[in-house]
Amino acid sequence: METVDTSNLKSVNAQLPTREYLAEMWDRRDFAIAVPLEQLRSEHKNTLLGNLWHLGNPLLMIAVYYFVFGKLLQSNRGIDNFLLWLTIGIFTFRLTSSSVLGGAASITNSKGLIRAIKFPRTLLPISVVVSRLISFGIELSLLAGFTLLSGVGLSRRLLLLPVVILIHTSFNLGGALIAARLNEAFRDVQQIIPFLFRLLMYLSGVIFPIQNYLGEQITGLAMSVISLNPVMRIIDLYRWVFLGTAVDVGATAKTTLISLGILWFGFRYFRAAEWRYGRA
Amino acid sequence: MTAPIAVSIRDLHLDYEISEDRRAALRERLVKHQGTGKRVVRALKGVSFDVRAGDSVGIIGSNGSGKSTLLAAVAGLLPPTSGDILVSAEPKLLGVGATLLPGATGWKNISIGCMALGMTAEEVDAQIEDIAVFTDLGEALDRPLHTYSSGMRARLHFAVATAMSPEILLIDEALAVGDEAFKQKSADRIDELLENAGALLLVSHSLNEVRDRSNRVIWIEQGRLRGDGDPETVVKDYRSFVTRATAKST
Repeated sequence: METVDTSNLKSVNAQLPTREYLAEMWDRRDFAIAVPLEQLRSEHKNTLLGNLWHLGNPLLMIAVYYFVFGKLLQSNRGIDNFLLWLTIGIFTFRLTSSSVLGGAASITNSKGLIRAIKFPRTLLPISVVVSRLISFGIELSLLAGFTLLSGVGLSRRLLLLPVVILIHTSFNLGGALIAARLNEAFRDVQQIIPFLFRLLMYLSGVIFPIQNYLGEQITGLAMSVISLNPVMRIIDLYRWVFLGTAVDVGATAKTTLISLGILWFGFRYFRAAEWRYGRA
Repeated sequence: MTAPIAVSIRDLHLDYEISEDRRAALRERLVKHQGTGKRVVRALKGVSFDVRAGDSVGIIGSNGSGKSTLLAAVAGLLPPTSGDILVSAEPKLLGVGATLLPGATGWKNISIGCMALGMTAEEVDAQIEDIAVFTDLGEALDRPLHTYSSGMRARLHFAVATAMSPEILLIDEALAVGDEAFKQKSADRIDELLENAGALLLVSHSLNEVRDRSNRVIWIEQGRLRGDGDPETVVKDYRSFVTRATAKST
């Protein structure tokens, strides 16, 4: 073969340095918004109420838990504004669980797109997380309305809500990225995740205050592990913002670090196998 | 004088590892796939060639010869097992089998496809009418993609893939499914790209199409290069190979 000048050529499979990769992601930011909007629009397409289900679904869930835990079991002892307390827990926990579960399916559900076009695959879990955030935005405005109606009123703590959402989102996105790669390798993951989240829900004080059991019924190693649970701490932060309940400053700092760490790890973990997502 | 190199493929090997029947599940990984049906399919076994700017290269070969794998590899969608693929610009692949978002309308698929290729929302807004006119799909654009025939889908994909005037265009069987009017239109669009010093790699089973469209033909058989050169000659060699193979099997 003749020798040719190849100085202007680059390999199609060269892994981009992180900075260039992030630039490619940024160039396609409109894609990362358009896809989730399309997903949200089509989600309840075949139902009578259509997009109203984005509100109806969480409201019904609150009604169920309020009936069981608030009325029947009276586990609301010692909690003021139990209905609001519960609503915050459910909305915020759902954001995490649906982001991670949706993230898990984001690669396997988009084989068509992946086989047709080369683009940074991280955009797929990102677009799931964005779509969940849009739903969450609707839920938050509902929550703000409830808070006003119930006479609790909105406080200046609300100014810190974006920071709380940022911490929460970095945790969710990290989880979505990890779940996406795991599920691409083992489809079983998608089956396991709902059970893990059911367990996590009880350990995060979503529907009853597990915080009150720490140091009493729950002691020793179990207490240390549960105390670290970032989801529980993040829910505490939202409750602090809306209701002014107690929040642990040290735990908040740890939670922020854990959430950023999970995002950092998730991004690297996802990218390390990105080259093969189009295969098979 | 020779034009600069657009694509350089060097000793490209590509193996698929497939687990039989289905995707490997956790159980198989845990039991160290002993006795499970893992098979390695060697789709490409050392392919090398260069494509220059302005070249229009047809790729022919029997079913399963590795043509589509080659194209997906050049697009960067399938990583080679060994060897390298060098390009002067990001190649854009247009595959007829590809489905973007099956549940979304044709309009949505155009805009999301263009955004995935790197257009901004404003650029899409500015061009979407032209792209839609080019597809000639009319009111069908309001329907979800899964209701399209393969020919309609190919039109949409072709329009999206060529909207950004890629320097290197890869086409996999896409044009053969279009009707005559669309074939003419797409031929004109490809000529435009080639005039702007682009390069085209075209996989097709239609030997006439390959001969008309290409100034060079590459013949791949069982993952290896069997012919490379003037379209008339290579197509003739391939035809007599097919005739011999059919004669043998009957």
